[in-house]
Amino acid sequence: MRPSGSGSVTVDFGPSTPPRTSDDFEQVPYPPSHWANANPEEELPLYSVNEEKARRRVPKHTGVQQFASDADNYDDEGKDVYSKPRSFKAYQSSGRPRYPPTPPPTSIKEFLLQNVEHVTPVIYTLLACWTRFHNIGLSNTVVWDEAHFGKFGSHYLKREFYFDVHPPLGKMLVGLVGLLAGYDGQFEFKSGAEYPDTVPYVAMRVMLATFGVGMVPLGWYTAVELGMSQWACHLVALMVLFDVGWLCISRFILLDAMLLFFTFLTVFCMTKFHNQQYQPFSFDWWTWLVMTGLSIGWVTSIKLVGLFVTALVGLYTIEDLWDKFGDLKMSVRDQLRHWAARIACLIVLPILVFMASFKLHFMVLSHSGPGDAQMSSLFQANLEGNDFSRNPLEIAIGSRVTLKNVGYGGGLLHSHVQTYPIGSAQQQVTCYHYKDDNNEWNLLPRWEEPPYDPKTPLRYLKHNDIIRLSHGPTGRNLHSHTVPAPVTKLNHEVSCYGNATVGDVHDYWRVEVVDDIKRGRKEKVDRIHSLTTRLRFRHNILGCYLRAANTVLPQWGFKQIEVSCIPENSPKDAHTYWNVESHWNDRLPAGETKYYRSPFLRDFWHLNVAMMTSNNALVPDPDKEDILASKPFDWPFLHLGLRMCGWGDTQIKYYLMGTPLIWWGSATSLIASLIVLGVYLLRQQRKYTDMDPNEWDHFLYVGKVAFLGWALHYAPFLIMGRVTYLHHYLPTLYFAVLMLAHLLDHFIFSSRRLVLKTKAIAFGICAGSILLCFWWFKSVAFGISGPIQNHKGLLWRKSWNIYEQ
Amino acid sequence: MASKSPQAPRLRQRQVAVPTQDIDDSRLHQEDHVGEVYQNPRRRHPVEKLLETRRASFIVVSVLTALAFALRFYKINQPDQVVFDEVHFGKFAAHYISREYYFDVHPPFAKLLFGLAGWFVGFDGKFLFENIGDSYTDNHVPYVGMRALPAILGSLTVPVVYAIMKESGYSTVIAAFSASIILFDNAHIAQSRLILLDATLIFFLSLTMYSYIRFKKLRYLPFSTEWWTWLTLTGAFMACTWGSKVNGILTVATIGIAVLIDLWDILDVKKEGHTMEYFWRHFTARAIGLILVPFIIYLSFFYVHFAVLTKSGPGDTFMSPAFQETLSGNEMLLNSQEIKYLDTVTLRHKDTKVFLHSHIERYPLKYEDGRISSQGQQVTGYGHNDTNNNWQIIPTKALPEAGRGRYVRHGDVIQLLHVNTQSYLLTHDVASPLMPTNQEFTTWPKDDHSRHNDTLFYININEGHDGDVVKSKSGHFKLIHGSTRVALWTHTKQLPEWAFKQQEINGNKGATEKSATWFIQDIIDSEDEDFKNRTEDHVEPKKPKSMNFFRKFGELQLLMLQHNAGLTASHPYASSPINWPFLLSGISFWTENDSQKQIYLIGNIVGWWTCVISLSIYVGILGADLLARRRGLDPIPDPVRNRLWNSTGFFMLVWGVHYAPFFLMSRQLFIHHYLPSHLASAMIAGSVFSFILSETVNYPVSVRGPSTRAHPKQYADLGIKAPIIFVGFSVAMLVVLLFFAPLTYGTPGLTGEQVNARRLLSTWTLHFAAKVTAEVV
Repeated sequence: MRPSGSGSVTVDFGPSTPPRTSDDFEQVPYPPSHWANANPEEELPLYSVNEEKARRRVPKHTGVQQFASDADNYDDEGKDVYSKPRSFKAYQSSGRPRYPPTPPPTSIKEFLLQNVEHVTPVIYTLLACWTRFHNIGLSNTVVWDEAHFGKFGSHYLKREFYFDVHPPLGKMLVGLVGLLAGYDGQFEFKSGAEYPDTVPYVAMRVMLATFGVGMVPLGWYTAVELGMSQWACHLVALMVLFDVGWLCISRFILLDAMLLFFTFLTVFCMTKFHNQQYQPFSFDWWTWLVMTGLSIGWVTSIKLVGLFVTALVGLYTIEDLWDKFGDLKMSVRDQLRHWAARIACLIVLPILVFMASFKLHFMVLSHSGPGDAQMSSLFQANLEGNDFSRNPLEIAIGSRVTLKNVGYGGGLLHSHVQTYPIGSAQQQVTCYHYKDDNNEWNLLPRWEEPPYDPKTPLRYLKHNDIIRLSHGPTGRNLHSHTVPAPVTKLNHEVSCYGNATVGDVHDYWRVEVVDDIKRGRKEKVDRIHSLTTRLRFRHNILGCYLRAANTVLPQWGFKQIEVSCIPENSPKDAHTYWNVESHWNDRLPAGETKYYRSPFLRDFWHLNVAMMTSNNALVPDPDKEDILASKPFDWPFLHLGLRMCGWGDTQIKYYLMGTPLIWWGSATSLIASLIVLGVYLLRQQRKYTDMDPNEWDHFLYVGKVAFLGWALHYAPFLIMGRVTYLHHYLPTLYFAVLMLAHLLDHFIFSSRRLVLKTKAIAFGICAGSILLCFWWFKSVAFGISGPIQNHKGLLWRKSWNIYEQ
Repeated sequence: MASKSPQAPRLRQRQVAVPTQDIDDSRLHQEDHVGEVYQNPRRRHPVEKLLETRRASFIVVSVLTALAFALRFYKINQPDQVVFDEVHFGKFAAHYISREYYFDVHPPFAKLLFGLAGWFVGFDGKFLFENIGDSYTDNHVPYVGMRALPAILGSLTVPVVYAIMKESGYSTVIAAFSASIILFDNAHIAQSRLILLDATLIFFLSLTMYSYIRFKKLRYLPFSTEWWTWLTLTGAFMACTWGSKVNGILTVATIGIAVLIDLWDILDVKKEGHTMEYFWRHFTARAIGLILVPFIIYLSFFYVHFAVLTKSGPGDTFMSPAFQETLSGNEMLLNSQEIKYLDTVTLRHKDTKVFLHSHIERYPLKYEDGRISSQGQQVTGYGHNDTNNNWQIIPTKALPEAGRGRYVRHGDVIQLLHVNTQSYLLTHDVASPLMPTNQEFTTWPKDDHSRHNDTLFYININEGHDGDVVKSKSGHFKLIHGSTRVALWTHTKQLPEWAFKQQEINGNKGATEKSATWFIQDIIDSEDEDFKNRTEDHVEPKKPKSMNFFRKFGELQLLMLQHNAGLTASHPYASSPINWPFLLSGISFWTENDSQKQIYLIGNIVGWWTCVISLSIYVGILGADLLARRRGLDPIPDPVRNRLWNSTGFFMLVWGVHYAPFFLMSRQLFIHHYLPSHLASAMIAGSVFSFILSETVNYPVSVRGPSTRAHPKQYADLGIKAPIIFVGFSVAMLVVLLFFAPLTYGTPGLTGEQVNARRLLSTWTLHFAAKVTAEVV
């Protein structure tokens, strides 16, 4: 029975509702900053816990989780006051400590006082001018690689197309310097030759040495931006100023001074940018990011070694973005902006600069020159002074032609009297990048047909014609058989065999038209034209295709490109495409054709592939002892120097070596840095606090720039197969020098335990010994005149070949 | 320390007060996964429960092992011919039995086992395994017994892999999955059915991993007896791995890295708060267990090696004269004679074994490449006995009438007179015929004294001291030219027709060049009366000398290192490491033309590609985990993540350390070098398989110590899916195995079309393939 409320007596036990829980109250969340301030866990310095723990230290109460998730997408709009204090914290840079901006000067005196810090670098720059320019014209002969780079500079003045393994910017600057100095470009720059009066070599050297001067202030400011103490900044500047290696290499018509300058500049821009990190997307931030990108572009356009410093910037950026990726307070929009800014400035911009330098290169070099054959036939046809336009247009049996491989990096079909040392031992067929009579081939009919007679009517070459190719100078026929090719073993060997009367059906090649650049698809091509028609040559018996794909032959083939016959038919493979380049036939009228311009991107890519191929071919020859070459292990401790010129008693002698103290000290500091880092990490693991977090960040940041920079510039040379020389270490040395300064700074000049006097004495010893050491060795860079034996005391290591043995 | 004044926060002070551990962070974290943490073991799928029982596990592992034995012993007598590297390792086993000294780049443990096995089955050591294809039955070699050893070890690897996975906390199905990748693998089967070292290497590698995992699981019970046992066993097995094959050093590196990581954690004051004394105890224990013990075991292999090989054999010539004199029957020991001035001798080059030779013919004036010679009398290297090899040693100082003063000693200046043409050996600054960088050697008439200085040579005994007498056969020396300091040298290049294709002799400017070593082969004649006493018949047999074991050991180690680096000659089946995981290349071990039989080492493509895919998934998971954690997300529950990082990470370490170094090596490399890594990748595959199918793992697996906090347990539950997938996978593996079985077992022979069918990848170079007729387009 249902109890009735009115009739029965009820005992009032209080309200019948269940006891109230916390759910009944509105949850008023604490502001996020409350937990940040109130929770004792948070007060643990973050550096004492690793990444994992740091994250876990956030309490997991439900309420707090709500805050945590709220905080991520907190609608800020300027109204929220609680989350503001977070960004209120002063930004602690691991680079240079930030000073408040100075008020605009009101008087000249104030302006001077504000800029008094720049006096020191100015003095260093003046000193650098003296060391770099002092007696710069002492040797009036072509010293060392001036023979190359002077010559390349001349090509720009003569506007003749040439080919070299280095990108063009540095050499264009050499050309520009020549232009400014009034050089006419007619000197040949033979190694060791004396400069005639027409070559203003002193002016050219001075202008290029200016880049060397620029290294010194850059070194100073980089040290400043890295947050080193004044003492250490002085040391960096002094070492850059007084290293005889850097000095020596800056004083000639070489690319190295520019390479070094732009390497320094890139590091400087990067450190400068790092110090702008507290104000992302500000004007300064953008300026230095763009500057970094530009200088990456410049340095790689001078020598590809610049890619190593690019890699350093790349690593720095990756680490930076990784940090930003972990910054949960940053909005996705900002994340993307950061990414986009880096991609635009550090990837796209440098590539544009690099390509622009090639564009300029092509624009300046508009005349035919020694490097023509590296490029596609169409490109060559557009060079002035080229006679391709005089070529008869249509090819016929009996024509004499050169055949150009269309693939990137392809050369001209070539043969010479030397035979294959392996395989069939018949005459070699290669691909060659220079113009030469040995590139000429005669188009002849098959053996069964009547021999070519100039009196019979012309027979134009068409698709599917079967012909014989006879090598001009030797008269042998292009031939292939089932012997494996010398390098690409899976292909058939191509050789030259027989003569005008001896031969067999293995000499037959079927001409297959691919297309014509001018006339379009295969169907529209009836007669084969020179330059524009792309062909393939199919071996009539074996069905394989004539191919040259940048495979370098060994020394017996003079490092030329292997030509083989590939059994697989891959119609898309441009390395099996050929076009007729030069064409001679007296019976045909000379052509008068305008050609299509070769597109820039194609030429750019073509040239770069060719550069890579030649660079890889620069491998040391085991049979030849190159007295100048050295191994990377010889460099850090200066095991060897390099004689830059002849060593006769009457010659001015230059010996490329470093100031020993700087090289030895910097190399030692690299080893020391690893030990120091290991010790610090061990001590941290045992919870010794040696530094506060900012100091530790700074220690790591500078150490990373110096060590990684060094490693990235050094390790690739260990792996590289090509010949290496001492001057390859010069950009690398900069990072070693930074490390030496950093460690001295860390242990002496920025030490809190040492008194000023100790630091001053230590600085005096360092600076003094560098100066003395420089003074002792200065003649190797300024030039040694007279018999070398008169200059005593230079042989600090027995392995240096300074004196005659 | 603790009573530092708080107001002066100085640097370099040690934070003594460890933050109180009142917030148990790991437990806090696990509360996210409450449901899983308190998972009831009884709530698992019945199949899972059934499989996890001891008996089920036992049955599974027994079946796997039985299958492994069956697959590895099937037709083990096929082929009854020498296959691939049996040429080497069979020969070495024979040498142990005949006790003749040999030299090899690999340490002796596995070869000693083969020797033991051979001795056990009655092999007399007479057969020398000269060529691939030599018949065993014709030569009465009990080869089956010798092949049984790797087959047993290879079969036992399968249960060890199973045990590793079980110990690491994976379900029975997962453990069986990993084991089956090895079980059904053609490459592992082919490699362990033959007299090769890899089966031993892989078996001991897996045992090392197993013991290390057992040791690691006892980390909360340090210094207990069991802990010590597994520590020592890890060291012992590690030594066996290293002793089997030189690649075993990578296993040592793996364990080394794992131990360093482990020690780094113990050092971490934040984690456990251990004292330094405690750390040093751990350090010492590991140093004993993982350095001292393995080293002693490794040394003992060599001790046995030297103790067994007491007779002279083919390896003599690699060793130093002092070493050779410890071997009985060594020619050097028997016939080494001291050389006197005016003896007529023959000089022989140590590496290429040619005699220093000269004949009346002259160098052509102009070489093919246009360089000019001196047109002097040719000096060449000649491989055969000839009177033109005879040279007389002429003193450059006054000799006493008799006595010790007439002996040729280290550092003496001598002239060499070519007896037949009566001219002195000479070198000068003219480029040699083949090498522009090296000096030409020629001779100069005896009576013409105009070039006396160019005929002077220092005779420098290798590692010789002043006063050492030059001995025939045992005295290795360099001949250094007096005025130009070049060393008499030769290389294997032949001169052209004008020198009868004899070997070129030239002067090498690197006077320290190791290959410029010569020795005196025979004393032909002497002006001394006691000459007869020094010829062979009159000499008393000498006793072998003894040499300190450690010096022997050191010398052999050095030589092994040098020769290992020197194996750079190209080999048709050598492949580059990047091809290995994808199984792009194999090795042809053996072929028989008549019956079209062949053995081609290639892995089971299903298994290998599963491993590669798993590896990439694993790397992907870790990458995703890193990225997610960077963004403050924590998608993987802690126990599972720890398993992925620590346990699977260890497998990954094994894989990487056994693989990556090959990229840096320039020696010839073969796909079987990848097998240890493949073993590790099979375990990673199991782990990834488990990760995909289940959100839990068996946790914790470590043995609980007295002070360990009780962790809430959880259990893996793979349900019914896993066994079904496993069975399907095994069937696929088996089908592929059987399809390729003719290539693995070398029988039966295949027709051309059958071979073509098995050539799944175009990079496999199988023999007896049928010609594909070219399609005419």
